Amino acid sequence: MRGHRWSEDHVRRVFWRAGFGATPREASHFARVGKGATLNWLLDGPAHGPQMVGHQPRVKGRRLDPVNEYGHDALWWLDRMVRSQRPLVERLTLFWHDHFATADQDTPLMLRQNHLMRSRGFGSFPGLLNGIMRDPAMQFFLSLADSTKDAPNENFARELMELFALGGGYTETDVREVARALTGWRSVRHGSRSRSIRWSSKDHDPGPKTIFGHTGKYTPRDVIELVTHHPAHAPFLMTKLWAAFTNEELTTSTRRALVDTYRRHDRRIKPVVAEILRHPALYSRLDAPDMIKPPVVLVAGLLRTTGTPITISAYTWLLDQMGQVPFRPPSVAGWDGGTAWLSTNSMRARVTLANQVLAWGDAPLKVPKGAGHLAWNARQHVTAAHDAVGRPWLSAGAHAVLVDVATTFFDDGHPPDRDRADMLQKLLRHLMISGPDAQLH
Amino acid sequence: MACYDPTLTRRQVLGRGIGLGLTLYASKLLTLDRVLEAAQAQAVPDAPVLVSVFLPGGCDLLGALPPMDQLGKLNDLRRSLAVGDEIPRMPGESRLGVHPALTDGLGGGIAGLFGAGKIGLLPGIDYANPDFSHFHSRHFWERGMVAEAAGPGWMGRWLDRHGSGDNPLQGLSMDSTLSPVLTTAGAPAAAIDDPGDAALSFGGTWGKGADKAAQVWEQLAAVPRAGAGPIAAGRAAALTSQVGRMLSPYASDAKAGTDPLAGPIAYPTGKFAARLRSLAGLIAQPLGIRVATIDAPGDYDTHDDQPTDLDKALRELSQGLSAFQADLEARGVADRVLTFVWSEFGRRPKSNDSVGTDHGTGGIAWVQGTRARGGVLSDVPDLGALGADGNLAVTIDFRRVYASLLEGWMGTDAAEVLPDAATAGRLALVR
Repeated sequence: MRGHRWSEDHVRRVFWRAGFGATPREASHFARVGKGATLNWLLDGPAHGPQMVGHQPRVKGRRLDPVNEYGHDALWWLDRMVRSQRPLVERLTLFWHDHFATADQDTPLMLRQNHLMRSRGFGSFPGLLNGIMRDPAMQFFLSLADSTKDAPNENFARELMELFALGGGYTETDVREVARALTGWRSVRHGSRSRSIRWSSKDHDPGPKTIFGHTGKYTPRDVIELVTHHPAHAPFLMTKLWAAFTNEELTTSTRRALVDTYRRHDRRIKPVVAEILRHPALYSRLDAPDMIKPPVVLVAGLLRTTGTPITISAYTWLLDQMGQVPFRPPSVAGWDGGTAWLSTNSMRARVTLANQVLAWGDAPLKVPKGAGHLAWNARQHVTAAHDAVGRPWLSAGAHAVLVDVATTFFDDGHPPDRDRADMLQKLLRHLMISGPDAQLH
Repeated sequence: MACYDPTLTRRQVLGRGIGLGLTLYASKLLTLDRVLEAAQAQAVPDAPVLVSVFLPGGCDLLGALPPMDQLGKLNDLRRSLAVGDEIPRMPGESRLGVHPALTDGLGGGIAGLFGAGKIGLLPGIDYANPDFSHFHSRHFWERGMVAEAAGPGWMGRWLDRHGSGDNPLQGLSMDSTLSPVLTTAGAPAAAIDDPGDAALSFGGTWGKGADKAAQVWEQLAAVPRAGAGPIAAGRAAALTSQVGRMLSPYASDAKAGTDPLAGPIAYPTGKFAARLRSLAGLIAQPLGIRVATIDAPGDYDTHDDQPTDLDKALRELSQGLSAFQADLEARGVADRVLTFVWSEFGRRPKSNDSVGTDHGTGGIAWVQGTRARGGVLSDVPDLGALGADGNLAVTIDFRRVYASLLEGWMGTDAAEVLPDAATAGRLALVR
């Protein structure tokens, strides 16, 4: 078999797509242990040892307070992405958050939903869908709580089929009938602040419903079975999962194979993800990454690949400017990804991110005094900068531009001094983490 | 990096576009005055500007503009959302009521603008056999065609046909991301959250180092790339620095207390109003803005708690848009700006059990401006003639409105942009 040699480039590719990048140490370690062991580590986690490594996040000297401090919910999750030894679990949780996008709910409910996605994201999809359907944040967001038999609310029923499970292959009658089958949950107020939900049989429509041409006295649990056995379901979900990991075309035969795996494993997610991560398409064009990093992946990846802990709260507003704040998706359809990430405004915010981490972040990203040395030649300047920012991917063209900068930087008639050697380090490091190449993975 | 001849004439700069002018400015080969002069000449001073304001979620026509001559039928359908006889009427249009929140704002808000003949209402707007999915319907409106396929937006296609190849500000989203209405096949377009904070800076560099940084950024952007993602990354890098340079003369200076974009009108608080204020200020400058988009805040997807949510959303809209209109007039540019307000669909006449309404047909839109044709420009749907599924009749197709905007306002052939232009019909929206 050709092309099976497992290299650092392979490791970096799969760590970016299935996580938040690899540190130089991870790249060399997992290149040595091979593809099988690498994918096992991503899929199952380390055999022993802590779930989270590295320094605890601290903002203004204090621990994060995700429930009470504005924006700390996003920082709290970002920190998991940066320090977890199960990066794929966090990346998949981000996928589900985009897939079952929920917003505008109280933080404790959002964190509870986040826990649900994290703990069940690899398991049975019908189980996850059932959990999401009963999740208070989702029920309040899509008006499922207090949808009663007298006047069913169609909001959740419609998105369940359109966005969560099918994408197509249903009718307006199906929407109305599913809405009837999903009646019966009521909201319960606890004082002025918090709400929960409870099941109320008398508000459920017990009559017969006709859904996808079948008729029965369907309950919410029946609806989950009906939609996840609908012929459109498996191809819809496989296509979406594939596109989360690669821009390569999903061929008919690969899609059929994924659908087969999904059904054979009783609609479990993990075997499908494993198959995608093993697929050669994931490792095509290792020298030219072509997916745009989502803002959350950009920020978490920058911190993770350099081992930089979260010590500033700026990431929340920076992510807002880039167009992706965790727990605040723009609508139930999630975020528009791909090239839509790169508006002029979000690109400017990606540059501002570099300004923030290099000047105000923590070591090792923060540039210390004395970072540059006058005795270095151009390549040494560039290599030192590259090492300091976790050796991110650089195209040959960009590398040549940076070597050229280092070559001519001191040719302006001023005597070189150490401050200007430091300035060159700042500039090179900045461009390596903010330039066009840094947006790709 | 290519070397430019510093002796280029103004005509040569003009011929090769403002992008080149700004590159020369960045490299100190041209003064800012010369660049702005070139930009001014390139931006046709009286060119019409079309502003799209999107109300996300599906705005309720019957809640926003209750038909007073059908109030009994309306209240039979909406027990939990009853409309009282005491609500305000649209000035000069006794058949239509107006949500009280739409009377809020300068000069009586949206209702006041209608009374002044500056708003043409388009009740019942939609398309045949409407899709009740937010995302499908929204996509059709964004693209200007009822088709699932992905592709540039309708204003983006207009830019591809009539825009310049080198002015990203010609198509402007006042947002952190570019509106799908404005995505193009090739023409540059921009998203701006705050024009005072658009310039790129490279922390830790100063003096010649900072100049060098800006130059190297351009070089990195220009590295040859292949594939959609890499090309988009290089292009975004180039456009972002260009937008930053174009807007740098307009940044406010808190220390000096100057704000080149400041106008005479006080706006309400909030991000929507701040963005409208910036947009009015930018339109008044010679930047060549032709099409612009802005999303209204609030939750129009009122499946539950409609009274609270709709009031809040319409109030912010009415306050913001009335200030925007007054500002354009005070700056003397109102005659070349037309604002088009739209939502992806309407809502069901019958209310649900959550004090809300589900997705429906026959929505709401309007044109607004000193040159808008005032009045009610389409038929108000009849509550006595609901469709089999209990929805409102569609009384005007959005593609007819788009074709009319392109020809009646932008002055270009609609068929270049809209595949259905030949069959869409036309409607006078402008006077």
